[in-house]
Amino acid sequence: MSDETDPLMMLVWIFPIIIFVFYGQQIQLLVTSGEIKKAIKKLDKFRFNSKNELINYVNKNLDPSSDPTKKIEQFLDYFTIMPVDMDPNGIVDKVRHTVRSREDYTRNHIQSLFPNIDEIKLSRVQTLLEITSSLQMIHKIVNHMFLTAKKQKNYPLILPLQMMLPFIMEHAKAMNASIPAFKTGQPLGDGIGPMVVGKMMLGEQKEIISFQTVFTKINYEKRKLFLVKAEGPASTVGRPDDALEKIVDSNKVDAIIMIDAALKMEGEDSASIARGFGAAIGGIGTEKFQIEHIATQNKIPIFSIIIKQSVKEAITLMTKEIADQADNVRSQVYEMILENTVEGQSIVVIGVGNTSGVPQ
Amino acid sequence: MIFSKEEIVLAYTVEKCPKCEKFHKRDFSEGDILFSISSKCTFCDGITLIEKIFGEILQK
Repeated sequence: MSDETDPLMMLVWIFPIIIFVFYGQQIQLLVTSGEIKKAIKKLDKFRFNSKNELINYVNKNLDPSSDPTKKIEQFLDYFTIMPVDMDPNGIVDKVRHTVRSREDYTRNHIQSLFPNIDEIKLSRVQTLLEITSSLQMIHKIVNHMFLTAKKQKNYPLILPLQMMLPFIMEHAKAMNASIPAFKTGQPLGDGIGPMVVGKMMLGEQKEIISFQTVFTKINYEKRKLFLVKAEGPASTVGRPDDALEKIVDSNKVDAIIMIDAALKMEGEDSASIARGFGAAIGGIGTEKFQIEHIATQNKIPIFSIIIKQSVKEAITLMTKEIADQADNVRSQVYEMILENTVEGQSIVVIGVGNTSGVPQ
Repeated sequence: MIFSKEEIVLAYTVEKCPKCEKFHKRDFSEGDILFSISSKCTFCDGITLIEKIFGEILQK
């Protein structure tokens, strides 16, 4: 008798098939659950670590009168409800208002907790709070999706989470790794734009043009340059859109040049430089909208220079490769000015990004 | 993972002497800020400025 007709061998084949037909999804759910559980454990560790780092920073640098743990924990659960977008008319102003209100509230809250805090430390605590609160939120959402799928014994429900998890973990790891740089006030990869413009501003008269944003007027090859960046070395991105609006209101601007860090694609070299058109600025989109609106209304072309990097490189201590590109980027800015403008024209140069550890 | 190596980021500060244009790389110390006055140049009598602060990854 051959193996194929042996009833015992047939059972050996048929039994697993029956098991997989009826319990396949549950088996897949079990296998996937293991991976997701590990990721959730890691996220929990990040959440715990970021909170501890924040509390340690506050205790070490701000000398609080009482234990700040409870107040910080209360703050971490604060949420932001985005405006309704069924009628998109005016949505950008509403989003800007909501986001800025939250920022103002956070700043005032920290100031009320530590009345003698200086601007630089305040910006660091604010950034650390945002990181901790984001890591807490990521952990909560991933855990919720996992537990819901498990409770419903619903494998398809876990699929989107399984697909997105590597990207979520990449962001969470980057945020966790960024904490030491923010605590010590080191420049980040995202700070390359402010670093380039900050060096161009050295030794010049600077003034505050909008909230946490500085500007300088200089002359270059018979052209007028308005240099704009967030006010360093605090951890802030400033408000370059408001700054541009003020400059354009009182001057005739012929070109805008934006320098920013941008996410590289897989396979692209880190710290490579690319030139292009359009507003190079990240974030929630309100600043980009405002800059594009001003440029369109006044028919000003926007040129950009981007320095490519990964998510982790952008929010952790600047790498050597990125720092080495600063002089190259600066010479490309001057080249761009000469190529696209003529004598007597005015150009706004904006260094976009977090200016932590980068003064001017 | 069993085979993944632990990564440590080492922070460095690069000083540049505006007089002799020479660079000096040292470990980052808290309080170092870009473009600020750092120390006396070891090659001439100039005062160095912090030119760069960056991190290098060391795999253990």
